[in-house]
Amino acid sequence: MKKNILTALLLLISVGLQAQEKGTLLIKNGTVLTITNGIKENSDVLIKDGKIQKIGTGLKAPSGADVIDAKGMYVMPGIIDAHSHIALSAINEATSPVTAEVSTGDAVNPLDIAIYRALAGGVTLSHAMHGSANAIGGQCETIKHRYGTVDPEELKMKGAPRTIKFALGENPTRVHGSGNGILPRTRMGVEEVFRNSFSEANEYMAGWNEYNAKKNQKSFKGVAPKYDLRLETLADILKGNIIIHCHSYRADEIYMLMQVCKDYGIKRLVFQHVNEGFKVAPELAEFGAMASVFSDWWAYKFEVYYSTAYNATILTENNVVTSINSDSRELIRHLYHEAAKTQKYGSLPNDKALSLITINPAKQLGIDDRVGSLEEGKEGDVAIFKNHPLSIYAVPMYTIVDGIVEFDRENDPADMRIYPNPEEQIDVTIAVSDSEYDRCMQDTEFLFNH
Amino acid sequence: MLWLLSLNSTIHGQEIDLEPVTDTYAIRNANIVQSPGRVISMGAVLIEEGVIKSVGKSINIPANAKIIEADSMYIYAGFIDGLSHIGLPKPKEKAIDRSQIKDPANPPNDLSGIQPERLASAMLGPKDKSVSDMRKIGFTTAQAVPHGLMLPGQGTLILLSGETPDQMVYRKETSMYAQLEGAPRRLYPNTVIGVMAKYRELYRQAVQSKDYLKKYNANPAGMVRPEQNFIEEAFYPVIEKKTPVTFRAESVLDIQRALTLKSDLGFDLMLGEVKQGWDVIDKIKASNAKVFLSLDLPEIKEEKQDSEKDEVSASKTESDLEKERLEKRKKEIIDLHYQQASTFKDKGLKFGFSTLEVKPKDIKKNLSKLLEYGMTESDLIAALTTHPAELLGLSTVMGTIDPGKMANLVVTDKPYFDEKSNIRYVIVDGNVQSYEVKKPKKKGTGKDAMPKGKWSYSADTPNGTVTGEIIITGEPDDYSGTISNSQTGQTTDLTEVSVGGGSLSLSFPFDIGGNNIQIQITAEIDGNTFEGNMSVGQLGSFEVEGQREPKN
Repeated sequence: MKKNILTALLLLISVGLQAQEKGTLLIKNGTVLTITNGIKENSDVLIKDGKIQKIGTGLKAPSGADVIDAKGMYVMPGIIDAHSHIALSAINEATSPVTAEVSTGDAVNPLDIAIYRALAGGVTLSHAMHGSANAIGGQCETIKHRYGTVDPEELKMKGAPRTIKFALGENPTRVHGSGNGILPRTRMGVEEVFRNSFSEANEYMAGWNEYNAKKNQKSFKGVAPKYDLRLETLADILKGNIIIHCHSYRADEIYMLMQVCKDYGIKRLVFQHVNEGFKVAPELAEFGAMASVFSDWWAYKFEVYYSTAYNATILTENNVVTSINSDSRELIRHLYHEAAKTQKYGSLPNDKALSLITINPAKQLGIDDRVGSLEEGKEGDVAIFKNHPLSIYAVPMYTIVDGIVEFDRENDPADMRIYPNPEEQIDVTIAVSDSEYDRCMQDTEFLFNH
Repeated sequence: MLWLLSLNSTIHGQEIDLEPVTDTYAIRNANIVQSPGRVISMGAVLIEEGVIKSVGKSINIPANAKIIEADSMYIYAGFIDGLSHIGLPKPKEKAIDRSQIKDPANPPNDLSGIQPERLASAMLGPKDKSVSDMRKIGFTTAQAVPHGLMLPGQGTLILLSGETPDQMVYRKETSMYAQLEGAPRRLYPNTVIGVMAKYRELYRQAVQSKDYLKKYNANPAGMVRPEQNFIEEAFYPVIEKKTPVTFRAESVLDIQRALTLKSDLGFDLMLGEVKQGWDVIDKIKASNAKVFLSLDLPEIKEEKQDSEKDEVSASKTESDLEKERLEKRKKEIIDLHYQQASTFKDKGLKFGFSTLEVKPKDIKKNLSKLLEYGMTESDLIAALTTHPAELLGLSTVMGTIDPGKMANLVVTDKPYFDEKSNIRYVIVDGNVQSYEVKKPKKKGTGKDAMPKGKWSYSADTPNGTVTGEIIITGEPDDYSGTISNSQTGQTTDLTEVSVGGGSLSLSFPFDIGGNNIQIQITAEIDGNTFEGNMSVGQLGSFEVEGQREPKN
């Protein structure tokens, strides 16, 4: 049942190449929190070849299938983090205000131990985002936490919609305006970068359309527009093929980006952080923009001073599809606590609180038809808890991805690294700091040293 | 072959101690390893004008041949290095004048590292120490690529012999060299995601401009003249699959990133300096990429067994046990590095070796390590000769000792992998270089070496090779002296000179950016040469060697 990563490593058997693994598994007698279809007491969930085949009672395990007895436990969909930077070798290509052409998909690092630690908190899927140094950052990758492989392709959730990182406010103006003395120096400049970029992309598309229309004419002698990967990507945003996920804090800027998107016909828009989202909640709902927020984290820089722990509740009550994210390799391990905070600050009912870390982030990533709730036909991503996941006593017991048990609290070896560093200095008297910092700005530290 | 012959006569004389009276050589009474597993015992090889004429137990040796008596020595085909910087000294790092960069998103090409139009063949330094260092351990041929960042330039195939770049070059352009190495901070493309995006864009732009050029050349009337673009043109042979792209891909992730670019764009791929490929062999195989494994291996620090500690193992603390567990995992991963070559072999994937990072003096030691970890002597000879010849398309002229092949040979007094073997001759393109066997160092004679006099030294530092002179004066127990530095042009007084047995120890102050750092040289003197280390504070320790200058 357990993918015996450790045993394999101890035997020095190479991890090898598997096609994306799919498991068959019966979870019995649990309290099933479906999210979209109520609570089913004493019920079974049958996962066959990676997909939920049946939710019911008295289900029989197919021969050879593994069985988890979840009696007294809570079975919920695998937790989804809509804002993370784990499993990435590079986060910010902080060298240009627009880097739409780059993609964190090229930097996926399946060896990152943070994947396993996220699994230990019930998180089965995360949005591996580009950082917030640029007004238009890079494309992001939606990854499933299939730990134990060395192949980055195996982590990628095939078929998930493309997404891209945008950023407003202090980060892009500091990096490019203050840092390099170029546009954008102010918040107005950030808007200008968006409008310039989209206009250029429109021209680029028009140029290609014209070329393609004429190129087969006999006497045609013209030149095609020069291939430009950045403009190709921006054009794909305009065509509706890429969801924008925008780093944002202040209400005025959030409103600004919605106006820009309206002007260019862009509909798929998710705001990240959105600390002042509560001020423009009806406007967000009207646009159809979504919001991914921290539960109660703010005041770490000037533009984030005005905020509230009621943000998620206010947004939810205003019909904005809202999620709670981590943006952190530590916080990702207890997103269930983060969701529970909305019950202290706003008294959200259980199903709505749990939606913040399941079906809602799935909607924001455009994958709610595949994950985010326990429904027949959906992918077998499950988290099993001792005690209710919104209880302060909640303990993640099993985490399952595509029907494969990726984390099992009873079988949780101490050293789960896949490739230790052959040159590491081993000194156990000094604690290794895996310290917390805003990875959104990783690779830009040099900017703050002058 | 004609050009080779004419070129040959010009090389003669520089590579061997005396002007040769003939270009016909016969090596007799040798064990000839023609190719892995194909051995003639006590046979002879006849070489004429740089070409192997005949090989066998009893062959006719013409009267004009110079005889090399190789009494029971061993002859191997010259080793071929799949990817190296041989003959291409590392350029000094220049400080970047950022005030001159108008747009960090679009820096000049020498800063962004986008220089695929550069030719390694035009940058060769035949006198570079790397050429003689690699030749003296048996390498006769190498693919040499320029230093740089993302696209450093076109690799070239060189013979490790010759006075001029023209004489060294066997094939001018072998592959387009690429790395996932970003530009310096704040300059585009800085990270791996920037590099990969830029790579895709450049490639597709080159495809586009190549198509347009083809149309233009067919019928230019009325068409806009295509602009000359050296960067895009450098991609054309790759797009036509006339040459492959050689990616430096050390880690398991970089290997797969290179494979991703290959599958996105469709070029032929060579993977070089591979260090962590064991888990992705099937993926490499499926891509048809050619592979050169790194000869740079991680080191296991052999810890002294503390027998007392073992006896009191019951009293091990939790942190001792944790340390043991971590050391065990570390050793396991190091073992996987050592086993990489035999794992590739077992999976039936042919490979050669690359030497971008390994120091020449470590190569034989590291090859022996591979012998301990599953490779046989025949496997290693194949990976040094026949396999790289095949992978580089050289099989008709190199890789084995057969009539018609180039006279690239290595002659050793014992089998090459014998710990006590010495290389006696290396023949490159028919040029014979002979090597004296170093006498074992006398130890414990108690006699101090004589450091007095003028020495020339060279040290490999991160800023490139530093050379200069060390002058030592005075008497035992009271030495003093000076040291000069080719990079700064300054001469500094030595603050300490001491000799104990054959060991020489020097120290002197050095100014780095206003900080005064004490540099320490410790070296072993062996007659008129010394070898050792130069330690520069926290910057680390670098190899240094010296030679006594003849008295005027």
